Amino acid sequence: MNELLFKASNLIYKANLTYDSIKIKQGKINFIVGESGCGKSTFLKLLNQSINSVSGELLYKGMSIDEYEPIALRREVSLVSADPFLFDESILDNFKTFYSLRQLPMPSSDYINYITDLCSVNVPLDQNASTLSSGERQRVYISIFLSLCPKVILLDEPTSALDEKNSHKIMENIINFCKEKHIDIVVVSHDKNIVEEFCENKIEMIKEF
Amino acid sequence: MEGAVTLNIFKFSLIYLLLIIVLIIMKKSKVNQTKLLLIASIRMSVQLVTVGYILTYVFGNPKPIFTVIFLMLMITFSVHRVISSRKDLNRNFKIAIGASLTFSGLFVLIFFVAVVVNKSIFNPQYTIPLAGMIIGNAMTGVNIAIKTFMDDLSKEKIKINTLLNLGVEPKDILKPFANNALETALIPTINSMLGMGIIFLPGMMTGQILSGTLPTTAIMYQIAIMIAICTSVCITVFLSLNLGYKSLYNDRKQFI
Repeated sequence: MNELLFKASNLIYKANLTYDSIKIKQGKINFIVGESGCGKSTFLKLLNQSINSVSGELLYKGMSIDEYEPIALRREVSLVSADPFLFDESILDNFKTFYSLRQLPMPSSDYINYITDLCSVNVPLDQNASTLSSGERQRVYISIFLSLCPKVILLDEPTSALDEKNSHKIMENIINFCKEKHIDIVVVSHDKNIVEEFCENKIEMIKEF
Repeated sequence: MEGAVTLNIFKFSLIYLLLIIVLIIMKKSKVNQTKLLLIASIRMSVQLVTVGYILTYVFGNPKPIFTVIFLMLMITFSVHRVISSRKDLNRNFKIAIGASLTFSGLFVLIFFVAVVVNKSIFNPQYTIPLAGMIIGNAMTGVNIAIKTFMDDLSKEKIKINTLLNLGVEPKDILKPFANNALETALIPTINSMLGMGIIFLPGMMTGQILSGTLPTTAIMYQIAIMIAICTSVCITVFLSLNLGYKSLYNDRKQFI
């Protein structure tokens, strides 16, 4: 399965932020690397169409991304941003609120336990999210988005608030979960060890001046 | 009952002496707004003297065109004050505010003057003072609402992005912010209705009583104007935000 999931050609977001040729592969673990400010996060936002390019071509599964209805696309291509947001309520209620925002029924508590364990959320689920550390918030945030089982998940710096050992374990769990559920995965990361370990298709971005 | 005593210009100017007390207290408390107080006092005086002469002339020559011009100027100034104070509003949002303030102000004013008081809308003696109160309060209300709405949006950027990434419709993301701003804008008006008559005698009623109107008539006007103000604030804010927030995203459902 070497079909292209996303293909960007001469994509211009603004004057000094252009993507000449980027190929993201289906069924592979795609990693986007490059120095800060080279447009990695912006690229993920273009992929879920929360922002638009001014010109150039961006294909998703062989079809121009403009052809997709944006809300449906964002639900299918789920961007987990590097700035986590949780409501000031328990972790469990956060699941409830996020699911109701998507007009979905609350998943079973077994499933929530499973998915939060997978993301190493080592705190009781009735704890208020406002009392969590930044690393814990990030893991809860990822677990909620992951639990929705999108077709593609875009992870922006998923391990930025974690130590080496935890980063490795979580990445491994997420990747196994995604392989099992046939979820395509694109990760932006600065973590060299993580990239080396898991990367199957590396995209290097270079900062333009 | 006698009408209000005409103030002697010399005795009248004594009221400015009270400002000296304010200035002294401000200096002692290191409130560095003494310049603003002076400017405000002078501006107020000049503006009111001017409007006093204009109104005297208009009342002496009650032509409909004067009333219309007066109303148009009032609306223009109030719209300008709301939109010029915010640099973060786009063009369509500004148009929404202008249209909402104009529509709701005129609607409530016409209902008040033509239906409730049963006078011609072109009668300057009723239309001009009532328009001032209705449009002025709607302006303050929409100002508070826009400030609340825009400040909340910039404070809650991370939340908004999360909901957008989750696949929530932009209108469903923005609607709760608009509702919250409406509530914030309505509270001062509703609070002043609560305290009315017990904590303070409102300005319009005080004015009418001073000029010799029976208190029973004055309270009817006061009740009517309070309800009119509440309604015009509510409609103006509701329309401004509900028409305005649609200008914040495009048909690709992206925030702009």
